[in-house]
Amino acid sequence: MRVSLQDVSHDYGVTESSAAVHVLDRVSLEIASGDFVVLMGASGSGKSTLLNLIGAVDRPTGGRILLGDLETSSLSETELTRLRRHSIGFIFQFFNLIPTLSVFENVAFPLSLASVPRREIDERVTTTLQEVGLEHRRGHYPNELSGGEMQRVAIARAIVHRPALILADEPTGNLDSKSGLGVLDLIRKLHETHRSTIVMATHSDRAAAYGHYIIQIADGRVAR
Amino acid sequence: MITRALVLRPLVHEKLRTVLTVLGIAVGVAVVVAIQLANSSALRAFSESVDAVAGRANYQIVGEAGEISESLLLELQPLWSRGARFAPVIDVEGIIEPSGMPIRLLGVDLLSDLHFREYRYATVLTGSGTAQSAASQYLELFREDSVILPAPFAREQNVAIGDAIALNILGNRRRMVVRGILQAHGPATAFNGSIAICDIATAQKNFSMLGQLSRIDLMLADDDTAAVAQLDRMLPPGVRLERPSRRNERVERMLRAFRVNLFALAGVALLVGMFLVYNTVLISILRRRRDVGILKTLGASPRQIFATFVAEGFLFGLLGSLLGIALGNLLATSILGMVGRTINALYVTSEPQAVTLTPGVIALGIAVGTVLSVLSAIQPAAEAAQIRPASMISAGLQQKITNTRPLVIAAAVLFAAGFAVSRIGPVGGIAVGGYVAVLFVVAAFSLLAPSIVRITARVAGPAASRVFGVVGRLAAASLPASLRRTAIASAALSLATGMMVAVALMVGSFRETVRIWVDQTVSSDLWLRPARNLSNSQTALFPPGFGEEVAKVPFVEAIERIRGRDVLYEDTMIWVGSGEFGVANRFGDLPMVKPRASRDALAAAAARDGVVVSESFSVRFDKDVGDTVQLPVAAGVARFPITGIYRDYSNDRGVVVMDRPLFVRLFRDDRSNTVVVFLKKGVDREQARQQLERMFGPKYGAFAISNAAIRREVMTIFDQTFMITYALLGVAIAVAALGIVNTLAALILERTRELALLRVTGMSLRQLRTMIVLESSLIGLASTVVGVVMGYALSWILIYVINKQSFGWTIEFYTPVALIAASLAVTFLASVVAGVVPAQLAARLNVAAALKSE
Repeated sequence: MRVSLQDVSHDYGVTESSAAVHVLDRVSLEIASGDFVVLMGASGSGKSTLLNLIGAVDRPTGGRILLGDLETSSLSETELTRLRRHSIGFIFQFFNLIPTLSVFENVAFPLSLASVPRREIDERVTTTLQEVGLEHRRGHYPNELSGGEMQRVAIARAIVHRPALILADEPTGNLDSKSGLGVLDLIRKLHETHRSTIVMATHSDRAAAYGHYIIQIADGRVAR
Repeated sequence: MITRALVLRPLVHEKLRTVLTVLGIAVGVAVVVAIQLANSSALRAFSESVDAVAGRANYQIVGEAGEISESLLLELQPLWSRGARFAPVIDVEGIIEPSGMPIRLLGVDLLSDLHFREYRYATVLTGSGTAQSAASQYLELFREDSVILPAPFAREQNVAIGDAIALNILGNRRRMVVRGILQAHGPATAFNGSIAICDIATAQKNFSMLGQLSRIDLMLADDDTAAVAQLDRMLPPGVRLERPSRRNERVERMLRAFRVNLFALAGVALLVGMFLVYNTVLISILRRRRDVGILKTLGASPRQIFATFVAEGFLFGLLGSLLGIALGNLLATSILGMVGRTINALYVTSEPQAVTLTPGVIALGIAVGTVLSVLSAIQPAAEAAQIRPASMISAGLQQKITNTRPLVIAAAVLFAAGFAVSRIGPVGGIAVGGYVAVLFVVAAFSLLAPSIVRITARVAGPAASRVFGVVGRLAAASLPASLRRTAIASAALSLATGMMVAVALMVGSFRETVRIWVDQTVSSDLWLRPARNLSNSQTALFPPGFGEEVAKVPFVEAIERIRGRDVLYEDTMIWVGSGEFGVANRFGDLPMVKPRASRDALAAAAARDGVVVSESFSVRFDKDVGDTVQLPVAAGVARFPITGIYRDYSNDRGVVVMDRPLFVRLFRDDRSNTVVVFLKKGVDREQARQQLERMFGPKYGAFAISNAAIRREVMTIFDQTFMITYALLGVAIAVAALGIVNTLAALILERTRELALLRVTGMSLRQLRTMIVLESSLIGLASTVVGVVMGYALSWILIYVINKQSFGWTIEFYTPVALIAASLAVTFLASVVAGVVPAQLAARLNVAAALKSE
């Protein structure tokens, strides 16, 4: 999926007591379909906000965002929901698994939202869990897993519905270096297999080396 | 799967939260179910008795002023040819002596009545005294002293066939012989079987009803409208034709205000329960804020999120309802006695036996619990559905109430609206405006809760930190930090406290008003009554001439004979009473509404054949001094000018009182329910009491009761009547305390990381516990203060709007200081205790794990 940002700005809430915070300032960039792009920048540079905007979990305060031919800023809440459900996969720094659901159920979640038949869900989740090497953990709950395992479950959940776009926000940020490398290897392998567009935010140089190219963000602008 | 993730699994995992919420709803539902069950049981007992006694009759001819003349039967002869059947009936109340137990006497034509009612004889006495069942032996039943008793009642009274039983009916004390025993079937089941049946001639002769009937039962073809029309034309004024069910309808109407008031109290428990559900769903959303955000990011639609949390409310409602119905069934059995006593004391004789859980009541319970729970869940669920996923996932972004000004303005508007609707008059005898005003006031105070919590924290903060140091400062600071949740807990507790204070004020004011009224009204020295209990005083009578005998006693200065009876006025059962106005004016001072002095009103009534009416009569039927009231009397109807309105708290049905000579003349009734005795100066009351009882006890079954005992008895009945009110309020407080436990427990679970940090930085377990108990105490303090203010506002509505419109009584405002102090202490203590459970929870926190988790 092609990603295009044109003069995208984003401000955070204006309250009675505080003025607006400009997080992104007229950002424009183009990502071709099937690219594995790395967003780099210091903490607070606006990487996560940019990912949220691309992933349609937030709306920009200015500018246009195109995913393929769809301009997300003009979509209704229902259309955005549908877009996320079918076309986007998310990987977070803190895994964000649902603690009350088992590994299998967490991974199956996007498929059950898309009303995929039960048998197909079974097959696809099993295959995906095999891909991430966690088939033996399917009945476990998140609190019974290690950090690396949790992130692999999160990756399985992000790819199980074969999204055209995968957004990863500091996927190794909360892992030790060995688990981190394992996760990065996995992401690269999956990219090679499925050829989805991947946008990964990180401030680790080692992680950045996994991408095709790097976009530097500083103070809410594209630096390079 | 969303429901599983956000609702079902947490429901199982967080047992404490689930149990507390379900319990909160269950208690509210239980109260509603119990009241409905107890009330319908009492009403059913009455209507079943009416049906059992009516038998196959589909119409009745009744006198609006009581008895009807027997000669009416002959006038109905033209209808015989149309196939109409008539049964003359005597149906009167009395007591069994010496126990004083109430009994119903049914006098019927034992032969022809078989068409109307089914009598199954178990045994009949023969002339020789042995039991047989040959038809000829039935003639024994027609002897002048024969009565027939139902078998269970005979067993209960320990009388067998051939035994004598002493009845006191309409002032006639007779020794009757049990010559027949009936199986518990048909009329023998009426009034719980406390019934004696005899031939109508026997009843008329023994109980001074010669030439008179209580009513005539009829069997008419249902489509024979011509016969009904003909009957209507034939009947003299003051006599009416009606369906037997009409009596049930009248009783039901009479009890309506009583029932509505009980339900209003149950409403308080439910309202508090609703707060609890709202609280739980909101907390559930706040705690799963992050999960909701993730699910939305992954593609869960707003509608799915909304449906999920509404489903949570529904689930709590359903579970709570089911438990509530079971609890309500148990509760009903225990309050049945209380409800029954109140109905007996104030309205009609009815002895409810057992409660029956009907599909209708089950449906009511489920509907009340689930509908209210779903309604409470809608607002937080909608909020969760609308919020952007990004703002829910990011840590640190909490939902906060930043600006309380709009809430304060909304509260002010609600207060004004509440005042406005409280000015609206009653609708169908129900104080609708008053109840709506209560809702508005409660809603207004709830909107003020965030501001109040914030102010409390600001005011109490310095004091708490002076006494408890940093622990106190942290406790005070934590309240506004999670204002939304603490405000809800505080609002729920304020509501419960407010209602408790309001009811304490109302009942206290009412009690004090009644106490002063009794002191003023009961000015005589002694009362002579044919039964010991006040509630039986209407069923037992003294015969004519009794008063004269008492008046002749040397130490008696004067007597006043009191007599009254139920009369139909505008299709409502009212009480028409009589006293001796001359004596009343000489010795007493009737508390008046208008004119000021009872002397003028009574003298004018005596001079102009007028009446004085009770305040509730004046309010209910919109009558004032100078108006006239038209009442049915023994021979037709008569009109009476109203010369005064007096206060009467013994009866909310409406009372019309006239001078005794007028009453005797118009109702042809010179018996008396009570004889009030004024002693000569210097006579010792207790000695006089004993002497009067010795003189009149054996002959008339009279009890002499002192003035002080009467006052005590009135206050006992009063307290019994309001017992149920206190019980319901206790329930509301319990539910509110559950709310605090629930909220604080949730707050602790959400603050695990913060609490772990405090522990790591050196806070002891004891300090942690103190901090949490202090937090709940501060919520308790804020709620108690608001509760008192709300209580005064609500009691104003209860006393001056709801009570006035429902019962027509003027109540003087009075603050029962001890009662209020006690209820406040209970509320505050409840909030302190409510902090203990969460404090334990916090103490069990796994510090390392809490710090590791994000």
